[in-house]
Amino acid sequence: MSVLLQVENLELAYGEVPVCRDLSFQVEEGEIVTLIGANGAGKSTTMRAVAGAMLPRRGRIIFDGQEVTQLPAHRRLLAGIALVPEGRRVFPALTVRENLEMGGFKFRGERQKLDAQMARMLEMFPLLRERAAQPAGTLSGGEQQMLALSRALMSAPRLLCMDEPSLGLAPLVVQDIFQSIRAANAAGTSILLVEQNARYALDTASRGYVMQTGAIIASGPCAILKQDGRVKEAYLGRR
Amino acid sequence: MTDLLTLLVQQSVNGVYLGCLYVMVALGLTLIYGVLNQINFAHADFVTVGAFAALFTATRFGTKVLGLPDTGAYLLSMVAALGAGALLGLAINAAVFAPLRERGDELRPLIATIGVSVLLENFQLWLLGPIPYQFDSPFSLETIRIGRIFFTAQSVLVVVAAALAIVALYAFMKFTFLGKALRAVAQDRETAGLMGINPNLLIALTIVIASALAGVGGALLGPVLVLTPFAGATVIVKAFAIVIIGGFGNMQGTIIAGLLVGVIEAFTVQYLGSGLIDLVVFVLLLVMLVVRPTGLIAERKEENV
Repeated sequence: MSVLLQVENLELAYGEVPVCRDLSFQVEEGEIVTLIGANGAGKSTTMRAVAGAMLPRRGRIIFDGQEVTQLPAHRRLLAGIALVPEGRRVFPALTVRENLEMGGFKFRGERQKLDAQMARMLEMFPLLRERAAQPAGTLSGGEQQMLALSRALMSAPRLLCMDEPSLGLAPLVVQDIFQSIRAANAAGTSILLVEQNARYALDTASRGYVMQTGAIIASGPCAILKQDGRVKEAYLGRR
Repeated sequence: MTDLLTLLVQQSVNGVYLGCLYVMVALGLTLIYGVLNQINFAHADFVTVGAFAALFTATRFGTKVLGLPDTGAYLLSMVAALGAGALLGLAINAAVFAPLRERGDELRPLIATIGVSVLLENFQLWLLGPIPYQFDSPFSLETIRIGRIFFTAQSVLVVVAAALAIVALYAFMKFTFLGKALRAVAQDRETAGLMGINPNLLIALTIVIASALAGVGGALLGPVLVLTPFAGATVIVKAFAIVIIGGFGNMQGTIIAGLLVGVIEAFTVQYLGSGLIDLVVFVLLLVMLVVRPTGLIAERKEENV
């Protein structure tokens, strides 16, 4: 397996306030990798930096052998990185179909490719087909998460970054979402997953990194992390 | 028809004509606010530049160089004003607004619009002098009569131009990829970036569209303005009032408010005298701010553009 995403010594800050220091991790082609940690550990910030929504102070991000550290978000998408942002962030006044079209913006010159992607997404999420002409703002939270996920998949990304997909959703809906994430992975998309619900995350991913106050304190295959005393105590509940 | 009814219809017709003039100017303001969340204080000067571009195209180029009839020259001058507005918008965004936005500051681009306004006014003052120019539209001389209602061919031209602009704008927003992307940027700029949309390009496009509208507005307003380098300022105050009454950033509200203000103005002239126009419009504005501060069409901001 080859390395798809390589993050080296990343340092992130909002203005003068440091959030993360000396972060290093990687995602290999075809993997599902998870970053877990408590609120405020810097997981979402790290995701934003990978997708280009914020630029790092120091360190390097290498994607598919190319340095993308300073590329803005719209160029990273062209390189093959898509982010499903925390809180879903669908365009509320655009219809479901228009939201999907925006996800496939890079195929705007290739009508056939766009139509094919659209057909795939509507097949994968039949519920979105029913709602296609509805403004996205009228969807329920779970439906919006489905839309945000399929919108990101419209660009046929090589790396899909999922930021807190379970946030605020009912357990049954969360199961659906994770099912879809695994399906996207089975279809060849590598996935970087940030999740507060460590149990879901560790069950879904093959490898994980544990973050605490802006630094990685443990890493390894999920099966081993699940047995790690610190992880058990902090995130899975004492047993 | 009774005299009263004739009068009502006649003034409504006059009002719609005036309203369409205002809508051409106010649409750009509201568009820029909707997408950039920023007030453009230089908008008035794009109107003035459009008016002068039209004047010189019609009188120096259209009739003299191309040998067009007056009507043809005026129509050509509208196209020239559109182009002049668009080019100026493109240039000023690239030179001033875009670099300031890059730094992520919100206040500086706003102040810069005031700077650009002063700059454009004084440049035109230096170039053209303070004495008002005469800009006649050949269409103003042609009167059309339907029953006992009179209007000029110019007012038909204005209404048609405004209708075309509105339809084109809606079609662009609704049916083209770029138009949808523009709405996406207006709703959530950062997330639009995550879709592979370059927000800076769409912001530039917004400014170009708004400036082009202001330019055409200038060509249409030229004949009714006292055409000096400061001419735009007299309209822009009313355009701001319209944008606020309609709900800042709301296109539909702006169009309705523009027509409303035009009609109210026509009736004010009829019943109270032309000296009271601004008073009436701004009393309406104040009442709106108290009663319905979100504007005529109160939606969430992101649903407007």
